[in-house]
Amino acid sequence: MRLDLTILAPHLGFLAQGALLTAEVCALALIGSVILGMLVAIARTSQLKWLNGLAFAYVDLFRNIPFIVQLFFFYYGLPELGIYIDAFTTGVVALSIAGGAHASDVIRAGILAIDNGIIEAAEVSGLPRRVIFSKIVLPIALRTSVRPLGSVLINMILTSSILSTITLNELTGNAKIVASDTFRPFEVYVVLLVVYAALTYLVSIGITLLHRWLNRDMQEQVS
Amino acid sequence: MRYTEFTPFDLWLLAQGLGVTIGLFLVTSLIGLLLGALWGVIRFYRVPVLTQVITFIAEILKNSPVLVQLFLVFFGFPAFFKLNMTPVNAAIITLSLNTAAFVYVIAVSSIESIGRDQIEAARVFGLTRWQVLRHVIAPQALAFSIGPLTALLVNQLQVTSLISVIGVMDLSKIGANLNLRTLKPFIVWTAVGILYYLSAKLVATLGAKLEKRLRAHSAFRGL
Repeated sequence: MRLDLTILAPHLGFLAQGALLTAEVCALALIGSVILGMLVAIARTSQLKWLNGLAFAYVDLFRNIPFIVQLFFFYYGLPELGIYIDAFTTGVVALSIAGGAHASDVIRAGILAIDNGIIEAAEVSGLPRRVIFSKIVLPIALRTSVRPLGSVLINMILTSSILSTITLNELTGNAKIVASDTFRPFEVYVVLLVVYAALTYLVSIGITLLHRWLNRDMQEQVS
Repeated sequence: MRYTEFTPFDLWLLAQGLGVTIGLFLVTSLIGLLLGALWGVIRFYRVPVLTQVITFIAEILKNSPVLVQLFLVFFGFPAFFKLNMTPVNAAIITLSLNTAAFVYVIAVSSIESIGRDQIEAARVFGLTRWQVLRHVIAPQALAFSIGPLTALLVNQLQVTSLISVIGVMDLSKIGANLNLRTLKPFIVWTAVGILYYLSAKLVATLGAKLEKRLRAHSAFRGL
């Protein structure tokens, strides 16, 4: 019953490989979910009833069904439709769709928080609706929602550990292999716990700095 | 002999899985709520070392994947402390502690949401610290925290699906078994998803009802 962390030394490279894969998956899924979240947020703030309802159904559904069920749905279901994609792509797609539901809520809140005066000023200036949206509304909304999007990203990093159940060997998957190689599950998982906590902590610091830098001209209001 | 068709008994299996999921959810939520509230009280009394320890543990639990926590308890603890651990016990320990960490944060912020002047006034009237907590802070903090707590519980209901990975026969595990037997992933995972969705909606509705009731005293009565 002695905590001996030195036995992990030879496996550090292997674990780092897993961490790299986790980072890769999360980066791709972040891009996917922000794009998807943007589109859904536009749909949810639109005045078309059916589009609004459709977007709401998507968000409601994917937020209230466990990620592992969604993942298995895609992983086992897609091949039945004749779509053969590997575990990596399935993982990125599933994370993007689940993350998109969360991201859309954040971006929608950012859009709704925009002062009506700004939009009216743009309308008075004679800008077409598309330009108002893409050049004025969206940049402001995205800028103010950097910090909440950061917590979506942190959540995504934690959720990505579930991808180990569909044979994707990211950080948790590799740790599982190391644990069964060394017969030292306690040491491996304690280290893993601390690594995840440290990783998400660093990400949250980075997000805060980015948020502050992007919103530097409206420091008092946002801070 | 292998049944590849769905049988009426599968419905019974799904109901059983749903029962296990909801039972574990209720047990772990109850333990988590009590433990988290207790931690919040410990912090309110500013117990010297204990407060820092609790804050640290809560940070780690919040910022690491539940899956890794489950592996640590289920594979790590038996190897390190030389004890027996059944999947159900591991699930109860992990989910309770995880819920407690989030409840702790909500408890702390809802205690802090009550103005200092109220506490000071009560102290001046000669109430002890416990009486202040019991009669001044608790009723208001409860009404304040019921919204976040509902959101947390809806989330924790989905987190319970992860215990299927360590072999607890919950709804997800039943779904996985049915999927392997019938090889009809779309039907199986849709059914499982619907059951989870309905349970989550039930929790959310009950939470909203309770919140309305607790906030009845401060609701706008109309002119």
